[in-house]
Amino acid sequence: MSLDVWYEQLRRGTLDLAILLTVSAGPRYGLAIIQHLEEFTDLVVTEGTIYPILGRLTRQGLLDASWVEDEAPHPRKYYRLTRSGAKRLAQMKREWRSFSGKIDRLIDAAPIAERDGRDAE
Amino acid sequence: MLERSLVAVLPRDVARDAVREIDSHLRDRIAAAAATTNERASLEKILSELGPPQRVAQAYSVERTFDEAVVTGKLFAIVRAISHVAMSGISGFFAALGVFIGYAIGAAFTVLGIMKPIFPDNIGFWVNDEGPLYGFDLSWRMGVGPGVRHEHLAGGYWVVPICLIIGFGLLFFTHRGARKFLAWWRQRRAAFTVSVRSAL
Repeated sequence: MSLDVWYEQLRRGTLDLAILLTVSAGPRYGLAIIQHLEEFTDLVVTEGTIYPILGRLTRQGLLDASWVEDEAPHPRKYYRLTRSGAKRLAQMKREWRSFSGKIDRLIDAAPIAERDGRDAE
Repeated sequence: MLERSLVAVLPRDVARDAVREIDSHLRDRIAAAAATTNERASLEKILSELGPPQRVAQAYSVERTFDEAVVTGKLFAIVRAISHVAMSGISGFFAALGVFIGYAIGAAFTVLGIMKPIFPDNIGFWVNDEGPLYGFDLSWRMGVGPGVRHEHLAGGYWVVPICLIIGFGLLFFTHRGARKFLAWWRQRRAAFTVSVRSAL
């Protein structure tokens, strides 16, 4: 597997978490979510695919969507976290911290293994 | 054109809502780009980042298809989702093939169980009187049609409950397995593209 493919799979697996985190701060519309992700991470999601993902999260009951007519020159569809979404987000954050902690321990142990590997050669 | 593409794959009200949302998105992007000197180039960039209408529609369709298959378990939705999986690559193709084989064999046994009372002399377990066929021990076959010279029907009407149990059992477990597989597949392979931000 090339590094790019691995990197893309890693990003794909965390995008739901990233979107829920973005919306947890308050209701946001699609473009605002994209801009927030770009600003805080290097996750760039194509416009043509962010909306199907938001639709999926809405159908799963993790987000609630509603049109706001009077805030801007044109109506915008805002997404906010539901109670189920908040619960799921808390679970995902716990799992992420646990998983990343394990990987960090592996990485910390790796220099010793790499040194032993070089010595063995 | 986007609405036509979406209506082809989504319910009409969902397609209209999707078009409305993308329209709102484009208006926001255009308003942000209006301050630049080269508006035409900005507009072309915005539309190219959105992607072709067919690809946008497909992204919506795949997400909904998988959702419908996993959540509702409807047979048609599962078949459509499995078809998407089959086209995603070699492993997806073989996984889909396994599901279709499960459905096909389950359906075949069910039909045999139903047809036995209608064609009692033509359907059942055919046992070869002369021993093993083709040099190996499988000396019976499940089949339809008049028996060949050295075969006789065995099992009688026990074929009905046996075939129905096997058939319905296979259909049930294949359907359940397909639904779980699609839920796993959806988690594993999201229907989107994520890319690293390029230096602008």
